[in-house]
Amino acid sequence: MVAHEVVDGSSMQRALTRITYEIIEQNKGVDDLVFVGIKTRGIYLAKRLAKRLKQLEQIDVPVGELDISLYRDDRHIPDHHIEPTVTASDIDVDITDKHVILVDDVLFTGRTVRAALDALMDLGRPKKISLAVLVDRGHRELPIRPDFVGKNIPTAMDEQVHVAMEEYDGHEDITIEKIKE
Amino acid sequence: MTKPRYLVLSDGTIYAGTAFGGTTISTGELVFNTGMTGYQESITDQSYNGEILMFTYPLIGNYGINFDDDESVKPTTAGVVVHELARRASNWRSQMSLAEFLKRHQIPGITDLDTRSITKKIRSQGAMVAALVDTKEQIKQFLERSEQTNQIDLVVQSSTNNAYPNPNIGLRIVVVDYGLKHSILRELSKRKCNVVVLPATATAQQVLSYQPDGVLLSNGPGDPKNVPAALEMIRTVEQRVPLFGICLGHQLFALANGADTFKMKFGHRGFNHPIREIATNRIDFTAQNHGYAVAAESIVQTNLLVTHQEINDQTIEGLRHKQYPAFSVQFHPDAAPGPHDASHLFDDFLENIVSYQRQRSISNHA
Repeated sequence: MVAHEVVDGSSMQRALTRITYEIIEQNKGVDDLVFVGIKTRGIYLAKRLAKRLKQLEQIDVPVGELDISLYRDDRHIPDHHIEPTVTASDIDVDITDKHVILVDDVLFTGRTVRAALDALMDLGRPKKISLAVLVDRGHRELPIRPDFVGKNIPTAMDEQVHVAMEEYDGHEDITIEKIKE
Repeated sequence: MTKPRYLVLSDGTIYAGTAFGGTTISTGELVFNTGMTGYQESITDQSYNGEILMFTYPLIGNYGINFDDDESVKPTTAGVVVHELARRASNWRSQMSLAEFLKRHQIPGITDLDTRSITKKIRSQGAMVAALVDTKEQIKQFLERSEQTNQIDLVVQSSTNNAYPNPNIGLRIVVVDYGLKHSILRELSKRKCNVVVLPATATAQQVLSYQPDGVLLSNGPGDPKNVPAALEMIRTVEQRVPLFGICLGHQLFALANGADTFKMKFGHRGFNHPIREIATNRIDFTAQNHGYAVAAESIVQTNLLVTHQEINDQTIEGLRHKQYPAFSVQFHPDAAPGPHDASHLFDDFLENIVSYQRQRSISNHA
């Protein structure tokens, strides 16, 4: 089955802008913020949020990059064919006593976020961790909920949600595709 | 058979032209609109209440008037000034000529004037009061009394007297009518909003009694400082419900939160006004109709964030509250007439509501 577009590029941009406003609104200011993007698209999303905040409030919020491969809960399963690639996390600032906003493209089972929380805890003791996602597609398997959501997209289990970003994919949209049996 | 008519400016300049439309004498601030089309929407736009509307585009009336494009039931524009009135209206939608329409609503018109040179004069000397009159005697009368402008409450005149519904099956929206354009209701209808329109005098208690999911402050005529009662309402409502202000509604939102407004030299009226969204540098071309603006230096002391800016003169075109889900724009996302670049703001308003309700349900459980 072909992937079909559910959100276009400009709606994606607007969702990110709204999240930026909501971060300002709920944080009562933007001091002590650190964005941490979960590898690949989460990092680009975090960078975009930081850029919007800079344009609006003339403030530089640090952006860290997090690789959670080593913290995945499925990497010890013997029949798991994909060998986790280990690339270093890159977070320049000390996250202790900071308000960390974890950023990812799609929130699904919550397992990636769980791994990210573990990874963060190994780096320091943040004052608070919030979660911003571009898409919440439901089907959580852990007690995790996002604080900032771009789009709520109800999905079936056998569907795949894909976020494409200019910086990585060369175009922008959100698509849904049915996984072939 | 043509009748003479005069456009008299308060500085004593007299332009002789030809009369059309209504036969009443009228006075009002002379403003210019730079749109090529959309004269029907503009003339019926309540934001022009009490103003003499001059079109810079040279040919007006060529596609007539239809019953679908009105922006209000009863136009309150004080007069219409055109360079050349089309001799014959020609369009498949046309149901009457512009002259006939103005006659029906008793709005005086004048044609055969060089509207562009008059516009240049206003641009250099600033907005001024003018009159449309038919005799030399009336010219004299106007010039003798032109210092005093009539002080009727434009917003109350343009607003609805009673609450009325515009039902649909979606989110409940209360629209506070300061002289609203029908296109705002059209845009909300398109998005299935279940709307109640309230008069400009509505109190916070009245607004909240409808249990709205969101509140929209409409556009309207004149100086925002003439609507002081709205400010208290806005301050209460913005803490409880997502808010969206358009044009006059934007200025009232700013005043309510401690910013200041000022009268512009000649305003923005037309639909080629480029605005920049500060967060993303995205440029939209927008429809605008305002003679007042929010003062940039007054924002510093407030809890407001500037979100949009006009590119030509850097005036403030959009604001957002730093603590509440409330935002406003000076331009018209409803367009009509004008580009639809900014119509997504209605979607943003609804998404704000959905997001706010989600957040609130989380914090209630926490």
